[in-house]
Amino acid sequence: MRAVRNIRLCTKDCLCLYVCPTGATDTENGQIDWSRCLDACHACVDACPSGAIFRVPDNYPPQQEKKEEILVPLRALLAGKARQELAASAVLRDERDPALLQLALALKQSIRVTAEDLAREAGYMLPQSAAVRGFLRSLLEKERPEGFPEEAVKRLLELLPG
Amino acid sequence: MGRYICTVCGYDYDQADGDPSRGIAPGTRWEDLPEDWVCPICGADKSMFVPEGGAETAGRPSEPGRGSGANGEENDMLVNSVVCSNLARGCAKQYLEEESGLFARLADYFESRAEPRGDLESLAGMISEDAQTGYALALDAARKAGDRGAQRALTWGEKVSRIQGGLLEKYRKQGDKALEGKVFVCEACGFIFVGDAPPAICPVCKVPAFKFNQVQRGA
Repeated sequence: MRAVRNIRLCTKDCLCLYVCPTGATDTENGQIDWSRCLDACHACVDACPSGAIFRVPDNYPPQQEKKEEILVPLRALLAGKARQELAASAVLRDERDPALLQLALALKQSIRVTAEDLAREAGYMLPQSAAVRGFLRSLLEKERPEGFPEEAVKRLLELLPG
Repeated sequence: MGRYICTVCGYDYDQADGDPSRGIAPGTRWEDLPEDWVCPICGADKSMFVPEGGAETAGRPSEPGRGSGANGEENDMLVNSVVCSNLARGCAKQYLEEESGLFARLADYFESRAEPRGDLESLAGMISEDAQTGYALALDAARKAGDRGAQRALTWGEKVSRIQGGLLEKYRKQGDKALEGKVFVCEACGFIFVGDAPPAICPVCKVPAFKFNQVQRGA
């Protein structure tokens, strides 16, 4: 487990600095130095009066299986969202009116958020999951066009346990 | 006197009470509310209200009627982009900076491989199909499968697609006037709000105001 600080919630009472046995909580960028943070320690979490510090697990349980009968409609909606986003992007590319562009941009952002939510429920919720590893591996198995950031995929497979 | 419920945020308009804060006297019947009256909580227009105890949506579907359509491969590229941008967010929430940046790079790459296609009219048609039938069908499937997570996402998404459709319809009728004020998008559920400041709590997913991003004109 690693401690992290939500800097927006931090009220600078600094009790985390007093209790940290390694000095990991006192840094110039407001984040906790993981190279010093102790796995089983949660002194800063307990001491923080603002609930600004919490711990992020290194390991997660296997994710819930999704049933095929719900994956099919989720994927269908997701494919539809992709078409919608491409249409919003086409408006952004083809139109000039500032208000229309603002509308298209708002819709594009909104559609992307709803699409991401569908992707989450369709099995790609947790980055450290077997489904995501499978997804990343499948990208390497397909024909890779020029410019494909292969090293990014390989690095993610190194970094993320599944 | 009866009530009318906002299908987006759940606000109920009680005809007996009216909406005095905006000059609507108690006892004003639903039919007599001005056509430009909107939900005081979320900004949904009158078409997004249903009578209390009435049908949840106007046009419930009887058959699926969803095709995969042309442009399949490019569409798949954009789906990959969505999966990756979502995972970038999932990593950022765990303060995993490098991983988040790598997924964001992949998301950008896949988006660059998908050629934009369509126009405002085709967009409005697709959004309307989702709002009227797409989400309702998926919600039925999620209920039958007992998948509450999917039900959550679909409930939010259905409301957001109604708001998207309502905004497009308003723009079609009123042009620039539909976007008077500032435009905000909830980064958690996609709810779009037009007004001076974002709502204190998102009417769809209940996150606080700081989770709204402002969409600038001429950005």
